[in-house]
Amino acid sequence: LILVSGKGGVGKSALAASLALAHQREGARVLAIDVAATGGLAAHLGATSVDFKAKVIRPGLKALAIDRSKALIEYLQVQVGLPGLATLGPAARFFDALASTAPGVREVVTLGKVVWEVKQSQYDIVVADCPPTGQVLGLLRAPETISSLVPTGRIRQQAEWMSKVLRSPDRSELILVTLAEELPTIETEETLELLEKSELIGATMVVTNRVLNDLRTEEKGSGVVAEAASLHRSLYQSQQEWLERLPPRKTFPYLFGVFTESEVGARLSDLWSE
Amino acid sequence: MMAKAIIVTGAGGVGKTTVAAALGVRAASQGKETLVLTVDPARRLASALGVELGGRPRRHPQLRKLSGAMIDAAASWVTVARRHADPAIAERLVNNEFFEAATAHFPASQSYAAAEEAAIYLDSLRWDLVVIDTPPAAGGIEFFTAPARMADLVGGRLLRLLTGGRIPGRNALFNRGARPLLRFADQLLGADLLERVALFLMDLRSTYDGVSKQSRLIESHFRRAATLVVTTADPAPLAEAARFFGELPEVAAAPAAVVFNRTLPASWARAEVPASTSAELAENVSRWGAESLRQRDARSGFAARFDAPLCTIPWLAEAPTDLAGLRSVAELAEGMPPLW
Repeated sequence: LILVSGKGGVGKSALAASLALAHQREGARVLAIDVAATGGLAAHLGATSVDFKAKVIRPGLKALAIDRSKALIEYLQVQVGLPGLATLGPAARFFDALASTAPGVREVVTLGKVVWEVKQSQYDIVVADCPPTGQVLGLLRAPETISSLVPTGRIRQQAEWMSKVLRSPDRSELILVTLAEELPTIETEETLELLEKSELIGATMVVTNRVLNDLRTEEKGSGVVAEAASLHRSLYQSQQEWLERLPPRKTFPYLFGVFTESEVGARLSDLWSE
Repeated sequence: MMAKAIIVTGAGGVGKTTVAAALGVRAASQGKETLVLTVDPARRLASALGVELGGRPRRHPQLRKLSGAMIDAAASWVTVARRHADPAIAERLVNNEFFEAATAHFPASQSYAAAEEAAIYLDSLRWDLVVIDTPPAAGGIEFFTAPARMADLVGGRLLRLLTGGRIPGRNALFNRGARPLLRFADQLLGADLLERVALFLMDLRSTYDGVSKQSRLIESHFRRAATLVVTTADPAPLAEAARFFGELPEVAAAPAAVVFNRTLPASWARAEVPASTSAELAENVSRWGAESLRQRDARSGFAARFDAPLCTIPWLAEAPTDLAGLRSVAELAEGMPPLW
């Protein structure tokens, strides 16, 4: 299980999609999950849309997007083991309302779907495009929240095995995507600190997106050439300072002039194996 | 006269706070009593504005017409509870076992608290202009729908479902109509969890009158405000910006302008490269030129789809860290319609 998160706007969905594509190309059976259901993952995979039922994107790669109501019904039926709930209209509405108000229920249902797919062993790799860092801790804490609020019952048992999968360094990893800028760096540092204390996830790794190349020449140039070189050098300088402060495991380059999301996904996927 | 509100919104990471601060500096420099409300800005930008977390509005030491305040989003629910519930109930609420979890998991509460704070300042008549930087957690249209969702939450939708349709007194919590469902839920969640949730929700419901009244007030401010949508030319922020044109008119005035931040000069797209230029710099200018072209296409594509003034702010090598920097951002902005 590879969870991908980061501050808003850093390119989480693009990197999650590219990672799924890279694993697929190496022959793994891959499932990509759009947890926040923003649609960004599908676009970066080159698909028009994905829904709750896993859809084949290409041989060896499927994708789905979490739909909260459907996930809740599936969770109660398949994981908790209550058959025929879909026909119980009032019960479904009741649980939907509970999920949108009671703490941890929504998250545990979302996370439950992701971890359940991991346990099915139908896939070698499950890549989950998660909500931004601000919400991902709530997501990862959901099993604990449930365990602390619910003393007994089947939902508590579910929460416990979810925790176990997430905490296993052999099975689960969280990739935090960041940029070499002030706010994303600080937010990533704060998230890492909280994760270290809480031991919510087996392993974490930081990757920095949109990193500029160094210009080796001292030449200034003239006109537009000089303007572009000067902007590039200043941005590069500033990026280097943030990279030094939070050294990433891997960097991805700024993609100049790339137009479409599927192009971005494809270009980044070539870079994972390097 | 009531203060004019300018709401600066858009996807995360596009530079909303910088734009809000730059607008504030420009308005204050033109003599308007201006308040900039930010949520969690970058530290250097916060010091440029002279604000500190959770503080009351403070006048800028150099630009006296400019005040800044930073909303403490984390303390938001506690403030809302204390403002709208009886003191005893408010204390019971903030010390409740569900309170922390519920607040952490309901992002609309942050937006709601920010909006409520903004409305209080707008009604105080101390400012001509209040510039509101929307909270990062909301990012998009969620800021504008937060009041309605907050009222719905504290209004007890779940409580009515739990109790079978009516809001009971504390002693007659669950009526007979909901019994089978409750037994079913107890089996899943363990006995008495729902009862504890319901007691919590009943306390929360006592904030309803205050919250729903305030929500309507906030919504009326939203409809009078000028909304600026900030974006970059990247697909994800652009998609978020497009959402405003579809959904904003339902809850607020249509966007007053779209601000394309980090814009490269159009002249870079077809740059003449002197023959003496090294291969490395020639390659560099052609890459930035391709980026400039992509940005131009993104802007014209957006302009063709949506009807609103389009404004650009150049890509600056360094984020502004002082008053002079913010002033120059405002001066470099092109195409901004008059907002005050």
